[in-house]
Amino acid sequence: MYSFIWRHLPGNAWVKALISLVLVVGVVYVLFQYVFPWAEPLLPFNDVTVDNQ
Amino acid sequence: MRVVVRTVSELCITVGALIVLFVVYVLFWTGVKADHVMDDQIDRLQDQWAQEPVRPTTPAGASEDPAEPAPYRAGKPFAIMYIPRLGFTWNKPVLENTATNTLKKGLGHYARTAQLGQKGNFAVAGHRRTYGDPFKDFPKLRRGDAVVLTDGTTWFTYRIDKGPYKTVPSDVEVIDPVPRKSGYTRPGRYLTLTTCDPEWGHSHRLIVWAHLDSTQPVEAGKPPALRR
Repeated sequence: MYSFIWRHLPGNAWVKALISLVLVVGVVYVLFQYVFPWAEPLLPFNDVTVDNQ
Repeated sequence: MRVVVRTVSELCITVGALIVLFVVYVLFWTGVKADHVMDDQIDRLQDQWAQEPVRPTTPAGASEDPAEPAPYRAGKPFAIMYIPRLGFTWNKPVLENTATNTLKKGLGHYARTAQLGQKGNFAVAGHRRTYGDPFKDFPKLRRGDAVVLTDGTTWFTYRIDKGPYKTVPSDVEVIDPVPRKSGYTRPGRYLTLTTCDPEWGHSHRLIVWAHLDSTQPVEAGKPPALRR
């Protein structure tokens, strides 16, 4: 999977490394901004009320 | 065969990294975000209070019986809470309603309960863990501890009467106007705080009850409980 991505990135090794880094940062950003905020309320840490609103 | 093994191991690494990232998010990032958002809410409140013209003070007895305030707006902050026992610098905004998104920004006031300082039970919920850990030290609260709130015009000092009481999540009685288990027998101006227990779990709730001890206008300065 990762070697497939690596092979299909353009440029020499340095450019590839740079693009990979950008991709990783992008994925982490999407996770922190959209995926985790959605997933977090599904866990029990949010249940602090007594009427379960 | 080699491709399969490699793909599977890469997937495992990916899932592992994902879990680590999620833990970082829950333990660390929600706190960073919440601290920022709560400070922002407090700033907004203080700006709002600074702009509001000073309300004409009602004559004698005003401190005993504050005028009925306007209904709170859902999801908006309306007060700041101080609990010296949780730290001298501990202060959190109190927002209307207890929706998930509201509790990310501060403490949540149960919308169906009394308003701040009014007759009845002013009930507030807060996170024990995550989102800035506002009620992390909840079990340290003791009888006699002060819970101070301000709505911009008045300081309300509540005194805790019954310290952390453990109950089940369905026990809605604890936020009744006169909670049965609290030991109060007559209607009065009460405060209830709720959070989860155990720290990271959701099987129980911790409750403290307090009564309104004193009020004073903000012009009179901070209440004794906050002075040092």
